[in-house]
Formats: sequence, C-alpha cells, structure tokens
Amino acid sequence: MTTLVLTLRESLRYRGAIGQWSWLLHRLSGLGVVLFIVLHVVDTSWAVFYPPLYEEAIKTYQSPLFTLGEFALVASVVYHAFNGLRVAFFDYRPQLWRHQGRAAVGVLLLSGLLLTPVFVLMFGHVLDFYNEEAFVLPLEEVIRAQLPFLGGFALAGIAALLLAGLHSLVAGRGSQTALSASSERFWWLYMRISGVLILPLVFGHLGMMHVVQGVFDISAAEHLAVGASEGQVGANATGTAVEFVHDRWSTFIGPLAIWRLYDFALLVLVVIHGFNGLRGVLWDYLHHPLAKRAALYLCLIAALVLLALGGGALVIGIDEAAIDEASRALCEIRQTHGATLEELVELGCEEFGETS
Amino acid sequence: MDIRFRIRRYNPEDEAKARPYWQEYELKEVQPTDRVLELLHRIKWEQDGTLTFRRSCSAGICGSDAMRINGVNRLACKLLIRDVGSSVQVEPILGLPVLKDLVVDMEPFFAHYRRVMPYLVNEEAVPEDGRERLQTPAARSVYDDSTNCILCAACTTACPSFWANGEYYGPAAIVQAHRFLFDDRDRAEEERLAVLGEGDGVWRCRTVFNCTSACPRNIEVTRAIGEVKMAIRKGSPEGVIRPFSHEKH
Repeated sequence: MTTLVLTLRESLRYRGAIGQWSWLLHRLSGLGVVLFIVLHVVDTSWAVFYPPLYEEAIKTYQSPLFTLGEFALVASVVYHAFNGLRVAFFDYRPQLWRHQGRAAVGVLLLSGLLLTPVFVLMFGHVLDFYNEEAFVLPLEEVIRAQLPFLGGFALAGIAALLLAGLHSLVAGRGSQTALSASSERFWWLYMRISGVLILPLVFGHLGMMHVVQGVFDISAAEHLAVGASEGQVGANATGTAVEFVHDRWSTFIGPLAIWRLYDFALLVLVVIHGFNGLRGVLWDYLHHPLAKRAALYLCLIAALVLLALGGGALVIGIDEAAIDEASRALCEIRQTHGATLEELVELGCEEFGETS
Repeated sequence: MDIRFRIRRYNPEDEAKARPYWQEYELKEVQPTDRVLELLHRIKWEQDGTLTFRRSCSAGICGSDAMRINGVNRLACKLLIRDVGSSVQVEPILGLPVLKDLVVDMEPFFAHYRRVMPYLVNEEAVPEDGRERLQTPAARSVYDDSTNCILCAACTTACPSFWANGEYYGPAAIVQAHRFLFDDRDRAEEERLAVLGEGDGVWRCRTVFNCTSACPRNIEVTRAIGEVKMAIRKGSPEGVIRPFSHEKH
C-alpha cells in the first residue's frame, strides 16, 4: 500500500508537462464513467426485470445530487473521448510527437468548446424542471437507494477474492499473473478501436438523453420519447420511465428495432472497454498475485453481470404489464411523499387517492 | 547572487536521520553560470561533509548525477543556476530504492536493461574480408537517436507507470532495445519483440511523455517506445521508421 500512496502523491508532486495531467484526467474521467455505467446499466435493466425499481431510480436521477453527477459525467465522457483520440493518434504516428503537448491543450479547449453550449442546454432542462412544480426525492432517500449498490460491490469483491484464492490454490504458489503477449497486444488494440467506435455512439446517446431532452423528460407525461416514432408508439401516456424506454425500444426502421441495436452495440463496446480499462488501472497499482487476480475477477464479474443484465433486458424488452406495474409504483412513490388527492388525480392515480 | 538549497536527506545508518527529511542550505556569491552540481560540491566541501550524492565525469556523459531538481528529473552537471532560479529543491530520482541522501540503488534499473539484451546478436559468419559488417548511412539513421542514451535513468524515474510498477522495463530499457531492434545487422528481432511484448514491456507505456522531457540527451523517448509498439504490432521492425526521419534540425 505504501507504493500506492507514494505513487499517487508523487504523480501530483512531479512537475511533468501537460501530458502528465492529461494522463491523470484520462484515468479519473474513465473511472468516473465506469462507476456511472454500473449504476446506469443495472438501473435500466430494472425497467424490464423489476419496473417499480426503475421508476425509483429515475426519480433519484432527477435529484440535485445526480444532476451534479450528470454534468460531471458528460464532461468526463467528452474529455475522455477527445483525449483518447489524441492518445490513439500519437500511438499510430509516434514521429509526430512534438505536437502532443499542443494536442493536449487542444483537447482541453475542444472539450470546453463543446461543453459550453451543452451545459447551457442541460441547465435549461434543469431550470424547466424546477420552474414547474418539481417532485424531488429527499437526499436521504436518494442516497439510501444507492446503498444496494454498495452491497453489490462488496459481494462482487468477496466473490472476486474467493475466486482469486481458489485460482491461486489450483495454480500453485508463485504462479504468475500476467496476460500473454498476444492478449496484451489484443487488449491494447481493442481499447483504441473500440474507443473510436464508441465515440459517435456515446455522443449520440448523451446528445439524445441529456441535451435534446433532459433526464427529467424521461418521466414527463404526454412527451414523445426522443428518437421514438410518433406514428409507431405515440407519446408517453403514463408518464412512466418504463414506458419511455418501451417507446424507444419499440421504434422500428424497417425490420430493425433501431434503438435496441444501438443500445446493444454501445453496451457491449463500453462495458468491455470500461472494465478492461479498470483492470489496467488496478494492475498498475496492485502487485501481489492474489490482489492482481482478484482485480481481474472483479472486472470480469462486473462486466459479465452488466452484459447479462443489460443484454437480457434488451432482448426481452418491455410489455404492457410492466408499464402498468410501473404506473402503480409511480403513484405509490408520490402517495408516500404526501401528494394531495388533487395531485394524485391529476397524475392518474385516483385509486391511490381513495385508499389514502 | 544568493541561493537557497532545500535537499532531501536520508541516512539509514543514523537513527535520527533514518526517516527522509528536508535540510536547507544557503550559498553566497553564486554565479548564474554555475552548475547545480558545483553548488552541491560547495555545500559538501564548505558546509556539510555528510551530504551524499553520485557524480563521476561531471560533463553530462557518464549519467551518474540524475536527480529531481525543482520537481523534474535533470542531470545536476548539465543544469545552470540561471535556468533554475534562486531557490533549488533537490530530491533523489523516484521509483528506485534510496540508499542515502541523493543516491539510489540502480540495480533494478540495470536488471531491466539487461533483460532487453542490449547487445548486437548476429551468429552469421564474418564478412569475407574478415573486417566489419557494413551498414548504409540510411540504415544507420533509423536508430541514430537511441544510440545517445547514457543510462542515467532520468526518463525511467520520470514515468508514472514505472513509479506504480517497478517491474515495468521503463523507457530507458526500451530505448536501448530500440537501438538494437532497428539495427539491420541484428538477427534477434523475434526474441527482442517477444521480450518487449510481455506484460511488463511496452504496453505499460501510457504515453505520458514525462520521459521525453526528462531526457538530458534530448532523445525522442516516447517516440522510440511508440516505434517499438508498432514493430510488435507488425511482427517486424522493418518499414516502421523512415531513414533519416530522426535527424534533428
């Protein structure tokens, strides 16, 4: 652990040029995005597997804490994307290295340039939401809703340690934990190629979900989900987040469920890119074979769980029953947070008004 | 002019000094053209004989006095006071075990160096005239830059990947590998590429570029590492570098 502390402290103390700060920012933004991906994929899969939870998740996403996180997320993705392009470019043109410092400044400027209008538009959505009578979950509840994730992380960590211990027992003491030269080369290439493929997909996704419309519009009644076809699915009648997802996933171009395919491509590319990146970062700082193995298993478990949950949700899809269930859950959330009878009626929750 | 020195001290043989600490020294009548190494000598000779550091040729060739000066790795013998200002902070280079004050154990560094086979491998019969294996100027130019390395470790100990993981060969060893990998008289390219492509090899480089700016010989270090990566991807060093493209203008 001393090496970790030493390394982190000296990474800040060494007066390297801008490349050092780009490297640090690239890591931090990457780690931030990986953390969000876990929440996002697991939460979104509830739209299929447990609709009430998805409604609650979207309410937490609409709280001020997550709004702050949303701005940080968009900034992280934009910086990580542009800086990743810079890294990949100089990997393929090492002889042009003299321009890398200027390119690093360029990445910062370009990120700022793109983020300025994006943040203005995103802030517009925030203002719109709070100008109307906004329903916001209290902070304690938002935090409490994230606690199961801590449990999940702990569980995955324990499973990873057990698997690593078992692996070490079988492989014997002193066995090496290293990828073969050809896997090292493959993953190095994968990070660059997937990065380039992810860039347009993730910009499109963020553009639709955070800029063209806000996170607040996911649960806006009578709102046509972004990218959904008015003719095929119509507006979000129930104002549930589940119907929002259903409307997007049920939009076809010809025989293709276009957003399902889009989300599937993004899911696979990003999850593998993210968790291989996490493995790389962890392996830099962990040296004990058991710790390295545990880190590898942790990344593997996390990636598989996300691919299974996210992929499963995309394949199974959302039916009418799920939307009904979500609709009732939404009423329940509002009822427990003291909505008046009038408000409940307006939300289409008459039955809940009668019982309260 | 007066100069204030702040030096990282450590002496495992003395219980009171066995934890690294900072010590300050004042020097008077310093010329702007004095080198940092001369001033370290003045401190040692005039003020504190216990101050310990390495130096040999004092002329930027032997590579023994790399240290972290005002936050960056430099050779103390090549750095003029006018280029560092009136307060100078000196620390040992980072990532190698400190033995005493500014002296580090270079053995792990040289172990990585030996690992990349830093010598020409060619088992073919000597040319008919019994003299030398000839090489065209174009073929020689391809690895000209990496012949300049003096193994001072300034690059390797400026690298965040090396700080985090001492098993990483580090920039200097890869530059040395580059020097032989791209030499068209060498016949060990397969072996070299295999060693460099291992988990602790070139892929640990995250193109931070600290090594390039730390090199006192102005070697294009990160570029050399990048060229080795390209050679590994192609399976051969051939055609990776255009002749004469390393010449400095």
